[in-house]
Amino acid sequence: MFKNEEMEINLGPQHPSTHGVLRVKLRLDGETITHCRPVIGYLHRGVEKICENQTFFQGQVWTDRMDYCSAVANNLGWAEANEKLFGITVPRRAQYIRTMLNEFNRLASHLIWLATHALDIGAMTVFLYAFREREDILDMNEAFCGSRLTTTAFRIGGLREDLPPGFEKMVTKFLAKFPACIEEYENLLSENRIWKKRTIGVAKLSAEDAIAMGVTGPVLRAAGVPYDIRKAFPYAAYAEMDFEIPTRTEADTYARYLVRMAEMRQSARIIQQCMDGMPEGPVMAKLPKILKAEVNEVYHATEAPKGEIGYYLVGEKGSGNPYRFHVRAPGFINLQSLPKMAEGGLIADIVAAIGTLDIVLGEIDR
Amino acid sequence: MPTPTLTQSIVITLIQCLLVVIFVFVVVPLTVFAERKVLGHLQQRLGSTRVASGHVGITGWMNRGMWKWGRIPVLSYWRGIPGLVADVLKLILKEDILPAKADKFVFFIAPALSMVAAVVVFAAVSFVPGVFFTFPAWFPFVGGLPVSGGIADINVGLLWILGVASVGVYGIVLAGWASNSKYPLLGGLRSAAQMVSYEVPLAMSLLAPVVLSASLNFGEMSARMATGLPFWGLVPQILGFLIYLTCGFAETNRLPFDMPEAENELVAGFHTEYSGMKFGFFYLAEYINMTVVAALASGFFLGGPWLLPFGLQGLVNPYIPAALSWFAEPHAIFFVVKIIFILFTYIWVRGTIPRYRYDQVMSVAWKYLIPMALFNLLLAAVVRCFAV
Repeated sequence: MFKNEEMEINLGPQHPSTHGVLRVKLRLDGETITHCRPVIGYLHRGVEKICENQTFFQGQVWTDRMDYCSAVANNLGWAEANEKLFGITVPRRAQYIRTMLNEFNRLASHLIWLATHALDIGAMTVFLYAFREREDILDMNEAFCGSRLTTTAFRIGGLREDLPPGFEKMVTKFLAKFPACIEEYENLLSENRIWKKRTIGVAKLSAEDAIAMGVTGPVLRAAGVPYDIRKAFPYAAYAEMDFEIPTRTEADTYARYLVRMAEMRQSARIIQQCMDGMPEGPVMAKLPKILKAEVNEVYHATEAPKGEIGYYLVGEKGSGNPYRFHVRAPGFINLQSLPKMAEGGLIADIVAAIGTLDIVLGEIDR
Repeated sequence: MPTPTLTQSIVITLIQCLLVVIFVFVVVPLTVFAERKVLGHLQQRLGSTRVASGHVGITGWMNRGMWKWGRIPVLSYWRGIPGLVADVLKLILKEDILPAKADKFVFFIAPALSMVAAVVVFAAVSFVPGVFFTFPAWFPFVGGLPVSGGIADINVGLLWILGVASVGVYGIVLAGWASNSKYPLLGGLRSAAQMVSYEVPLAMSLLAPVVLSASLNFGEMSARMATGLPFWGLVPQILGFLIYLTCGFAETNRLPFDMPEAENELVAGFHTEYSGMKFGFFYLAEYINMTVVAALASGFFLGGPWLLPFGLQGLVNPYIPAALSWFAEPHAIFFVVKIIFILFTYIWVRGTIPRYRYDQVMSVAWKYLIPMALFNLLLAAVVRCFAV
């Protein structure tokens, strides 16, 4: 009369904690997950193919719309990949401004991660606090380039414009209050018994598994691998910056939380250094009206907030468009590890796992 | 004092019921509003602490007053009321959707069950010990008759309260089952397990006051708890209060134990498929249950309609000067203040801590709360044996 059946359930694509339109097929035994497969593609727009049909200048607009929480980091990778392709040297002041904005963007992205991750685990207050600080960063984006989310912040060869007047004041004001804000979040979470119970030992991913699957970013660093492209292959002005790469060895959700919190502190440090050492000079290199590729192909990787974002560009001699364009999106590759993290756990753990991976579906589906 | 006839007592009871329903329907919207406001301030939300309508209607009038005397906090406290009004209107006006494959009768009956179970508990809660008020002589039919502070002054009040309150879980389980959908089913199953587990320590923590006061009658117990205890009676009461409050959070499905409706895991849990006023009934039931838990806590542990909690009143009464003797007597207002304080605690906790995982919720109940409640009961028995 009684039989034990597994239940199949769809987590998403419409679900409060799948961060967009991720769909996860789950098989449940009671509340334990026995089988987990992410299904993606609900937000596919064909960004790469579209970029192949547009000029090098136009392509950047599409990179905004991949990981819309860290548009500036995407812009930076695109601009630098093109500069590599065309052999353009960017003025030093532009490099510094790029670095600074990139770190602001890392803060904004990590704040969104913190907000949504905490909300998924039930800590509602952190959500609103984190968004409060993110608002200031978006205001700075707006002051710099006119838009808040999809920034299109940089140009190939430098910047369209220098920093606006009053920008330094905004930065100083932000940096003055930000450490206290991080402490506020940590007061609510770090030593909270329930937070620790929900995150310690949850969604583990060992360093071997992470490397085998190509997982990068804070998820990898929380497994004890100090791989950060800002240090490993410095770009922009990172070679001149003094900062640390926070790592943990526990490889669980709590470790990733601590790594990201420490990264936020380091980002604030880098921003301070950029402000202090900001060189004078032009912000744009001399460029021809139309860029025509000379080199055949480039791969340029930068450290986006979510991991290694790589741009693979193939130029055709004499053509104004890329012949082939491919993005190595960190979210896409990190998402592979979801079954590994979630299988064997409970439903509540997969929510924590999705949160800790910090995915943005715009980037995964492209 | 004249003795009422049977018809007269029925009329008086009906009037009391009406008063309780009015109380409930006043307290619930106020609690919802307070939740919006308190959370708004805790979380620095921009909506619920500022929104006020333009220049029309009563809120518009209040709004203009607010801006005029903007620095008076009592006035500015009404900011955010349009949000509440919109919320209520939305609940009432929303389309009532019935899923095609739902069990129609059970789907319909479940919210009502939740709601009724929540309200009926108030039958055994006495708001004021003794007589609440006496009808004036000119009042038709029941003139000159006293109205007692509780509807049913039954001598097994605690049993009634616990029994009826646990019927409420049927509403949730049936809602989860009748929706014929997977997330509500999971929510319903969770709530069955959770509520059954937490009923045990809840009842045991309430047994400590029973042991100490040797009564199951709500009014009598509050009276004895407030004044008739030795100093050593404090310990089992304070410990019992903490256990009770924790279980109360779980019984009302509030954070950190809101498993059945864990939004981020189960979408909306057992009421995922509900909309409109059927959902509104679950919503109401949750807030009424919160009020019940708060009322019981203030009755059993916080000295009921007396001033001081944990039986301190009996200890300090001899030292209260004659001029302040008002404070030594029961007043309904103290009862309400205590209820409000506990409701505030609910909101406070919600704004502060995350949610437990389902298995952790269970382990909290069985591994910690039940042993603690047993120990507390033992303590109460020892105090009863040697100190009273």
